[in-house]
Amino acid sequence: MSDATALGDGPTAKVAPSPARRVPVGRVVVSVVVAAVLVALPFMFPAFRVEQFVGWMALAIAACGLNLLTGYNGQISVGHGALYGTGAYATALLITDLGWPVWPSVAAAGVICFVVGVAIGLPALRIKGLYLALVTLAVATLFPLIIEQFSSITGGGSGLSITTPQETPRGVIERPIRLESPGGSLAPDQWKYFVFLVLTVVVFVVMRNIVRSRTGRSLVAVRDNETAAEVSGVHVARVKILTFGVSSAMAGIGGAVFALNNGRINPSSFTIVVSIYFLIAVVVGGAASVIGPAIGAVAYGLFIDVLSPELPERFKPATPVILGVLLILLMLFAPGGIVGMWRTSAAKRAAKRARAATAAAASGDTV
Amino acid sequence: MRGLRAGYGIVEVLFGLDLDVDAGELVVVLGANGSGKTTTLRAVSGMLESRGEIVFDGRSLRGLRPDQVVQAGIAHVPQGRGTINDLTVVENLRIGAWTRRDSEVAADIDLWCDAFPRLGERRDQLAGSMSGGEQQMLAIARAFMSRPRLLLLDEPSLGLAPLVTAEVFDRLRDITDRTGTAVLLVEQNANLALDFAGRAYVLEAGEIVASGPAAQLQHDETVQKAYLGI
Amino acid sequence: MTDFLQVLFVGIGDGAIYAMLGLGLVVIYRSTGLLNFAQGEMAMFSTFIVWTVWDLGVPLPLAVIAGMVGGFGVGALAHQIAVRPVGDPHEKPLAVVMVTIGLFVGLNSAAQLVWGTLDRDLPPLFGSGGIEVAGVAIAWQKIGAVIVLAVLALGFYLLFQRTGLGLAMRAVASNSESASLVGVPVPKLLMLGWGLAAAVGTVAGVFTAPGRGLGSNMMQLTLIFGFAAITLGGFDSLLGAVVGGFVVGIASSVVPQYVPGFEKMPLAPAFILILAVLLFRPEGLFGRKQVQRV
Repeated sequence: MSDATALGDGPTAKVAPSPARRVPVGRVVVSVVVAAVLVALPFMFPAFRVEQFVGWMALAIAACGLNLLTGYNGQISVGHGALYGTGAYATALLITDLGWPVWPSVAAAGVICFVVGVAIGLPALRIKGLYLALVTLAVATLFPLIIEQFSSITGGGSGLSITTPQETPRGVIERPIRLESPGGSLAPDQWKYFVFLVLTVVVFVVMRNIVRSRTGRSLVAVRDNETAAEVSGVHVARVKILTFGVSSAMAGIGGAVFALNNGRINPSSFTIVVSIYFLIAVVVGGAASVIGPAIGAVAYGLFIDVLSPELPERFKPATPVILGVLLILLMLFAPGGIVGMWRTSAAKRAAKRARAATAAAASGDTV
Repeated sequence: MRGLRAGYGIVEVLFGLDLDVDAGELVVVLGANGSGKTTTLRAVSGMLESRGEIVFDGRSLRGLRPDQVVQAGIAHVPQGRGTINDLTVVENLRIGAWTRRDSEVAADIDLWCDAFPRLGERRDQLAGSMSGGEQQMLAIARAFMSRPRLLLLDEPSLGLAPLVTAEVFDRLRDITDRTGTAVLLVEQNANLALDFAGRAYVLEAGEIVASGPAAQLQHDETVQKAYLGI
Repeated sequence: MTDFLQVLFVGIGDGAIYAMLGLGLVVIYRSTGLLNFAQGEMAMFSTFIVWTVWDLGVPLPLAVIAGMVGGFGVGALAHQIAVRPVGDPHEKPLAVVMVTIGLFVGLNSAAQLVWGTLDRDLPPLFGSGGIEVAGVAIAWQKIGAVIVLAVLALGFYLLFQRTGLGLAMRAVASNSESASLVGVPVPKLLMLGWGLAAAVGTVAGVFTAPGRGLGSNMMQLTLIFGFAAITLGGFDSLLGAVVGGFVVGIASSVVPQYVPGFEKMPLAPAFILILAVLLFRPEGLFGRKQVQRV
């Protein structure tokens, strides 16, 4: 998972500056602890669990992309699952059918999804809010059908395995892909974990840089008031289209990670439910904060992979109900998600400190 | 009302108003833009949360929703007329009688169509396609359909030509003479309003700065200074 | 030619179902101003209620009525607890989307919780037989769907145009502030609108179940078709929902059959319709209000 807490997150409510100190000691400590935990994790858990963690990373990357589009730029997409799936299938096909090596395939998946995103972004210029949500919902529902339509390429309903040709004594045969660590010092699941952890961190760092840059501010300006942004010199159409592209590229990279982690994909992994879960991760974690989607992805992952299997069989389907209820409650009481709640409480604490300081100063004066 | 304080969210607009309207009285509240006139009416009809006392006919209006305030006998014609534009004239009138359970509704509709001939000519026309003056008359007629004892009227002259406004006020005068309904009128157009009303208050920045019989205020220097820039 | 007619009539029958869902969507759009992404799941849930009642031995038509009542309750409840507190869809579209998505997810899994994950069987309301006209086989079920749709549409027409309650609902839809100023209890009527919409959705679900199997994901495709219907017809037009439903139904039946490359994607024409309408004529065929306000 990303340790972006050390690197700071988006526009934060500045805590009342304590005299003289500039280094946020608390943050540094937290980041070091988080980093240590992240490094230790794959050695503490069995392989299947570690692979689940990688799945959470894929979700986090995709949610990060969605957050860029919906949280920071205000364009609602309920269809990022389709881009996730596009990235997954692109990667799988490039590696399996065209024999590309892994990393270029991932990069290419990102580029392909960027192009698709721009293509969707163009009509999205004229379709906004609820109506854009509708269109993206339709795209997401359509995606698995498209996969099945072109089953000769995609393997249709029976799915697609990612395979690479391997030398064996019996000649070259196709074997399911395995990412082996150099020297074989780490188990495959652990190697996957670290490789994709680095990728995830890179994605989140890129996200943070985008958000903090002038481009990032123009994204937010467009979200809050398009006319005002246009008048202040922001090229609104270009911003919106590019954001769609970059957001889709991220989702595609997430899909690539998903595909490489699982080794096998089929259309049922990319139904509308996936799009919804991305949205949930973004909103629960906190839209318009860099680290929010990561927190949301972890929270969702914990919920689905850790909590839910522990429930008795009868209650398993209850988990999404709870999710649904939680979502509604969240929207009503804490629309800022987990990060939002954190910021509000931090601001309240800071306000309290400030009030106490003023009160102290005032009583000091009267003495 | 006593000590009325109200506002929008965290912005307070009214700071402690004391205001009375007696049965059958015509009272006008004058004030410039932003002085809080509309807010006052909205507070009475329950569209806003307010602090302070509002008592109507011995009954407190605290915390009542707009639809409950109507049942208490108050009708509110909002700023901008508030006609229901996708409904016809007759439908607007019919819905105006929503709180009534008696059988004279249809008769009343005819009554009002006679009282405002221009409405009578356009019974089945969509409210949204009528002129401002016609809409204003419709809005007033609709308010009267609930047979209120107090009518709240918010800036009827807004957006209307002077001749039309004068016509509206004349009709209103006739109606209130006939029905004995009290009126709390809010207006920017001081002259017309002071001709119409019996008593007046002047509101400035959320506080009452003058009050008294309308005729007196018409010649009062404070009022003239505040409004006519004299 | 008979093949084409065959496909056409199937499309008409399907179109009636989409129109049913569309009617509910329009009622909700007109009263609360939002697109209810959970409409399909509400329909699915109440169809399960129909099944439960029927499974107890109640004749199917009565079970449907019972399900509609149950659906009404689900819709009204959904409005009260989830939709009303969130506020104006035009100001906070993301929150509204999330709430309807939350309802979607919640109802979907509540159904799994109560009735399990295996599909159930619901028999067709009009039986499995059919008639043959000029060499074209038309199922009673399809004819029944059209008839039921006509009844529902007529019912809505009478409600809205001829009753005081319907007048009040129209007033609320047009200007809810003024409606409350004449004494109309706006929140109660909004709740009523949602209840009606859910009840109508139940019927759509009852017609979808026999063909597709009564499962928790049953209505997800139908939802998109329903939205396509009202997008084409105009988001606030009941007539548009009916006309749009039939157009979408026919297109989705004919195109996969006759246009190469679309065999497995009945949703594609619907999707293209949605996109085209929103881009070029957002108010659809019969819509009136400004759609681009968001």
